Amino acid sequence: MSVQTEQVSLKRSPVRAILGQFIPYLVAVLVAFVAVGVFIALMGFDVFKAYQTILFTSFRTQNGIIQTLLKFIPLMLQALAFTIPLATGKFNIGGEGQMIVGGIGATAVGILFSNLPGYILLPMVIAAGIIAGGLWGLIPAWLLYKFNINEILSTVLLNFVSFQMIDFVASEVWKDPVAGHPTTIPIGEGGWLPLLWDTPPLHAGLILAILVAIGVYIYTNRTTGGYELIATGANPRASKVFGIDVQKMFLLSLILAGGIAGLSGAIEVSGYQHRLIKDFQSNFLVLGLIIGLIAKGNNLAVPFVAFFIAVLEVGASAMQRTMAIPVEMVYIVEALVLLFVLLSDVVRRRR
Amino acid sequence: MSADTILEMKGFNKSFGTNVALKDVNFTLAAREIHGLLGGNGAGKTTLMNILFGLYRAESGITTLHGKRVEISSPRAAIQQKIGMVHQQFLQIKSFTVLENVVIGTPVKSSFRLDLTEEQQKIRQLSDRFNLDIDPHALIEDLSMGARQKVEILKALYRGVEILILDEPTTNLTPQEVDSLFQSLRTMVTEGLSIVFITHKLREVLTICDRISVLRNGQNVLTLTREESSEEAFVRAMVGDELNIQDSVIFSQKGIQEAVQTVGKNVVLKLENGTRLNEEGRPLIKDINLEVFDGEILRVAGVAANGQRELCETIIGVQAANSGKVILASREMTRALTVELLSAGVSYIPEDCLRDGYLPKANVAQNLILGFHGLKPYSTNRFMNWGAILSAVRGLIKEYNIKTMGPTETGANLSGGNIQRVVVARAFSRPCKLLVAHSPTRGLDIPSIDFVYAHLLERKKQGMATLLVSENLDELLLLCNRIIVMYRGEIVGTLTRDKFEKYEIGRMMSGVRTN
Repeated sequence: MSVQTEQVSLKRSPVRAILGQFIPYLVAVLVAFVAVGVFIALMGFDVFKAYQTILFTSFRTQNGIIQTLLKFIPLMLQALAFTIPLATGKFNIGGEGQMIVGGIGATAVGILFSNLPGYILLPMVIAAGIIAGGLWGLIPAWLLYKFNINEILSTVLLNFVSFQMIDFVASEVWKDPVAGHPTTIPIGEGGWLPLLWDTPPLHAGLILAILVAIGVYIYTNRTTGGYELIATGANPRASKVFGIDVQKMFLLSLILAGGIAGLSGAIEVSGYQHRLIKDFQSNFLVLGLIIGLIAKGNNLAVPFVAFFIAVLEVGASAMQRTMAIPVEMVYIVEALVLLFVLLSDVVRRRR
Repeated sequence: MSADTILEMKGFNKSFGTNVALKDVNFTLAAREIHGLLGGNGAGKTTLMNILFGLYRAESGITTLHGKRVEISSPRAAIQQKIGMVHQQFLQIKSFTVLENVVIGTPVKSSFRLDLTEEQQKIRQLSDRFNLDIDPHALIEDLSMGARQKVEILKALYRGVEILILDEPTTNLTPQEVDSLFQSLRTMVTEGLSIVFITHKLREVLTICDRISVLRNGQNVLTLTREESSEEAFVRAMVGDELNIQDSVIFSQKGIQEAVQTVGKNVVLKLENGTRLNEEGRPLIKDINLEVFDGEILRVAGVAANGQRELCETIIGVQAANSGKVILASREMTRALTVELLSAGVSYIPEDCLRDGYLPKANVAQNLILGFHGLKPYSTNRFMNWGAILSAVRGLIKEYNIKTMGPTETGANLSGGNIQRVVVARAFSRPCKLLVAHSPTRGLDIPSIDFVYAHLLERKKQGMATLLVSENLDELLLLCNRIIVMYRGEIVGTLTRDKFEKYEIGRMMSGVRTN
């Protein structure tokens, strides 16, 4: 090796390298929009006006921006709850359940200690959400660790358990008698997240979410623990041979994911609804998976993709309101973006 | 071309991605000859033959068989053209008998009752005719590697091939088995077959082949008959100008002179009655006692899969021994975790690098620090120092001539030889008291092998200990002072340098105890 000193001459400029990363995404987005545009046109709507609504509603008014940010928070946290275990090669499809259980934990503390002042109650509510979600993540993690039970199955199935739990809590334990839909009574005002902006309201959950995103990025990219996480996902057998406790990494990543999903539940309760409403988890899980996959598990890309999807979501509702185009059109766009991004990988590998 | 040429391949080009594997390669095979295809790893030998066998498709190239142009697009088509190939990895069903493995995929006379009497007779005849000496009713899992090799050849003969391609057929054989294989090959040639013998071992080629072609970097270098050939000419052809033969460990045999010189007195690694059982309680290694001294290279010989990997993994703590002791520099480390051993100064080069030592989905830099990532300067207080890592990694890439676009390239993009370099570079990247190296030269070209040997000898001079596990006997004799031979998880004997004898080691490798 030393005798042969010929160096590799394949050097690319950094600008081209970055462009090379982004072009497949741009193409995927563009192709998805064109494909769906054809359908919108066939249904007899104005395609350009529809896309204008989808893309610019978020930025046209203050309300639009804030609605987008409020969507962005749970979407990004859900996506991170998916990408962290994904780094180790494990699939957490239980972000929804972990979010619900986190929300239940936060609500329980917020109602039981509703008289406590904010500087005590708020941290308790948030912590309760994180812990409850983390425990919900611990169950599949422990089953995996102890009995090697597939985490995809256990996380998915635990979602269904959580649906019954929230139903029980919202219609039996702390039922709000005046609400039509299963809803709990409100948590104490001390447990409310402070507002960053009054009208329309934007809560401080945004800051928490951004801190989590930064924390996750630092953890996965700058610490030895994050390195071990990535190594485990890259080749568990080799990681084990070189001294990494891979079982521990699986366990840790799933608990961490549960905690983050739980936090998103707590933020929804403490920042937005101030009570627990059945079905508050919306379809954040599926969108979180889509975001995580479009970002290809890259935690730095997750916030940006999450923001893009939040823009689409807000735009979609506006489009439905003003133009009567079904909101499902945007789901198709989202799905197609994902498909084309994945396809671009296949195409690149073929070449 | 001479009149008895039966196969001609002309102008073959093939690339994998940006990597050119074959460049305008020609090859001819005469009737009744054993044609050696010689070259280092990555020279393109196997690629060329995989194309002939229909496994790969070339970008260009014309194959002429018996004067007629043929297109071979699949192994099935190759068999129809009476071309068979025996790969390095055998494709056999372990729980089936030899007979079942041979007839699988061929039309069987009574396919509903599976009455294989006729087939069995045919196999017996073939086996007798070519001196293969195989019991058709033996289970594959009970057979030695040498016998399994013969089953693979039998499979090809049963299908009536006239051209037989053997890819590195001697890799897992003892010297006795090699002799017997060569005898069978000679018989086949007298019976009318033609054989392509792919190898990187020069001596074998000179023993058995009638004509020898050398490939280097995917190009023809030369073709000579045995009479006009010499070892020197082939070494030159294989390595080109990349290696100064006078200075090399392999060819100048400098290693042997140094190896017999002093060995230290301090025990670096001691294994006492090391036993490890598998899940069913059968021993993987049994009562292993060994000592490695400072400044010593202790060699572990044996046919593959006789407990060598389990031995290595017990020493580096991947699987703790069920009983016995592991002592590293007079500290007992029997139950120590791998992390502790790595930070205590042990390095490991696993046998199956891709499976046990490499992260294809991580980048080159992440690969080069695996196992050492928790140590300074790569990290302090659990925070990674990517600056320090990148500069160290750039140094390693340069020193070990790892062909990559840079530290952030995805590991999966590297070729096999480069992956081996990464794993070797990592093991040598830190000063270590004990290096456990399992086939460290696998997949490397000759200059790189020489480089690894030079590093090993350098370690020896510095008084550090190495446990070197290898199946390659020629390699075994070169570097070490002592050889221990393993068979079915046990040590069957220890030989010191003055007792080294190839056939004696071969007997021990097949389980014959001497002392």
